[in-house]
Amino acid sequence: MPQLVPNLLRQEVARLAEQDARIDGRERFEGRDFTLETDCLYNAEGSAKVTMGKTVVYAGVKFEIRTPWPDRPAEGSLMCGAELRPVAHRKYEPGPPSPQSIELGRVVDRGIRESGCIDMNSLCIIPGEKVWGVMIDIHVLSDGGNIFDACGLAAIAALRTAVVPAERFDVGEDYTLPVNGTPIMASFTRVGGRYIYDPCEEEELGGDERIHITIGDEGHLHSLQKGLRGVFTPAEFAEIFKVAQNKCAELRKVVAEKEAN
Amino acid sequence: MGGYGDVQLLREDGLRLDGRKVDEMRPVSIQAGILPAADGSAMVTHGLNVAVAAVYGPMEAHPRKIQRQDRAVIDVRYNMAPFSTSDRIRPGFNRRSREISKVTAESLESVVLVERYPRAKIRVEIEILAAEAGTRCAGITAASVALADAGIPMRDMIVGVASGKIEGTVVLDLDKAEDNYGQADLPVGILPNTGEIAFLQMDGDLSPEEYDLAMEYNFKAAGEIHEIMVDALKARYEESEN
Amino acid sequence: MSQGLSGAEQRLVTPGMTIGSLTGMRVGSGAIVHNDEIIATKLGWVRENNGTISVDPINSPYIPRSGDLIIGNVAEVRNNLWFMDINGSFQGLLPMSLAPWKVEYGQARQHMNVGDSSLARVQEVDECHNVVLTMKGVGLRRLSQGAVIDVPVNHLDRIRGEGNANLDRMKETSDCRIIVGENGRVWVDGHENGIDWVREALDIAKQHGHKSSFDSAMKKHEKKFNKKGDA
Repeated sequence: MPQLVPNLLRQEVARLAEQDARIDGRERFEGRDFTLETDCLYNAEGSAKVTMGKTVVYAGVKFEIRTPWPDRPAEGSLMCGAELRPVAHRKYEPGPPSPQSIELGRVVDRGIRESGCIDMNSLCIIPGEKVWGVMIDIHVLSDGGNIFDACGLAAIAALRTAVVPAERFDVGEDYTLPVNGTPIMASFTRVGGRYIYDPCEEEELGGDERIHITIGDEGHLHSLQKGLRGVFTPAEFAEIFKVAQNKCAELRKVVAEKEAN
Repeated sequence: MGGYGDVQLLREDGLRLDGRKVDEMRPVSIQAGILPAADGSAMVTHGLNVAVAAVYGPMEAHPRKIQRQDRAVIDVRYNMAPFSTSDRIRPGFNRRSREISKVTAESLESVVLVERYPRAKIRVEIEILAAEAGTRCAGITAASVALADAGIPMRDMIVGVASGKIEGTVVLDLDKAEDNYGQADLPVGILPNTGEIAFLQMDGDLSPEEYDLAMEYNFKAAGEIHEIMVDALKARYEESEN
Repeated sequence: MSQGLSGAEQRLVTPGMTIGSLTGMRVGSGAIVHNDEIIATKLGWVRENNGTISVDPINSPYIPRSGDLIIGNVAEVRNNLWFMDINGSFQGLLPMSLAPWKVEYGQARQHMNVGDSSLARVQEVDECHNVVLTMKGVGLRRLSQGAVIDVPVNHLDRIRGEGNANLDRMKETSDCRIIVGENGRVWVDGHENGIDWVREALDIAKQHGHKSSFDSAMKKHEKKFNKKGDA
């Protein structure tokens, strides 16, 4: 069911935008407080929990052994999916995966896949016979705004802590999954006419289109997505791209620090 | 129940493989109000099980045909996350989840004062993030705490607990190996204040005497878990002494 | 139950707990009788008042009552009525005949459209929880400016304070018009700094509304505004 957008909320975020202020008191490009926890779920081979303001997201990594595609006999596979179940908000209804949850999963998937952080050849067990299929499942438990960034962070953090369960599948010893890079997503929503970073729930409700930018370790773009009704100018993108570079670098550092401990 | 065959589940010293006594439950911890988007929520960690519950409503029941003119309906969805088990679960409803959702909803309808909200529905979402035998019980416990957290009126809470039988011995709170290779499992939902039972399932093989002992263990454990539930709800609101 | 007479007692209970016996006591809200005992049905604080024992819930959904002043958002418009989201379990219905304007059949949308907010009163709630709203009455109107801020229904008393003392202080400090809707929505209008200050004050209410630290946190916040004004 689409949510009702009160006109007063749109007016209020527009008024705040004129003062360069935000409804929760943040600066235009200031993110919310967030927490990252890894290895938090028994049974998942890699896992992470991310909270960003009122948003709570879990990601879990599972492995399976499958036969490779005939044209790529020595390559494993990676798949990332997201579920937006009714647990996450009163606006989500039960039923088959919504276009919104498919978009979410695919945007996160592209960022990780295209960054090349997983070498598909490293997932080969016996060429032409057995390869690893890696599956990242993202589970949104509370949608308090900007679930994209929370899901992106949870997915890569879970992947980076994953241990390949080779012993359980009788194909050797367990080992840490090699992951060469930490792609990070930064999301912006147009609120009151200008883009802000890391929208909260009210800003998403009273705002317009959104742009998601995933950036790799070298500062290169790996996935872009524009969602919802609205248009933007190249100059607007140039501005938020710069911000995204900094935000992603900061978050990447947090992931590295978390792993070092 | 798989039958015990060759798998040894009790040690020579009479303790279980994980060192527990026969009437000892796994450690339980509970947090209330962990999901800000929900009207009420809770997380229950029971052994290695992690169950999360969110409550939304009461809200108008849709579609119309599920509305009851004399009371609210409780709409429970019990779901296991894809990464919650050893082998990944494909997302989507299955027969087991549907059955558990149905009987859980009916047991919650036995304690919630549903007649206060005609034509409404109360959504209870139970998500299992990690499963190690006993998820339906952890889910019921989480749902009760989440309902209380949401301010939904109830005449009592429900505590989910299970006992079972391994190698001919009745034990409290089966873990994964005991569940897989044991001879019986008796999960129940107990109203801690009235001593009534709102949820009951069982499979396996139990003599009348074994049933009585398993139930005795369940009631003992329900009292212990209830204290943890109460503490979790109070911890959210009670002021620290300072 | 020995301290029960003090009235100021703050005992936190959970659903199912026995909070008294029926001998000599009456049952208030948030409690029921079971086997001659009074049982709490909600998470909240026990209150005894003139022989009635009840539970003040910590969290509860908004239950509309006849006469409530509320802030609604138009969710749907028909030829002769508006359906309004009133933050309750069911939408409220505002018939054309109870609107403050002379509305021709089919013209309802021209007066108030989807997404518009209004100040209304609950005219009637029937036993099936159908809610009829009215906008006939002093001050009831469409809200075309200002901000609406959500607060928990259970903190409204705290936000108003004894005899509206707290609310009056907030109005004075911020120099804003503030209307508290019984349905957990607060409308604020006035100078920009004032609106921002009230929003922060209500955030404090959300965090401290059930704690004794509420008053001191609010006082601190009041000083903050004065400083801003001097600068």
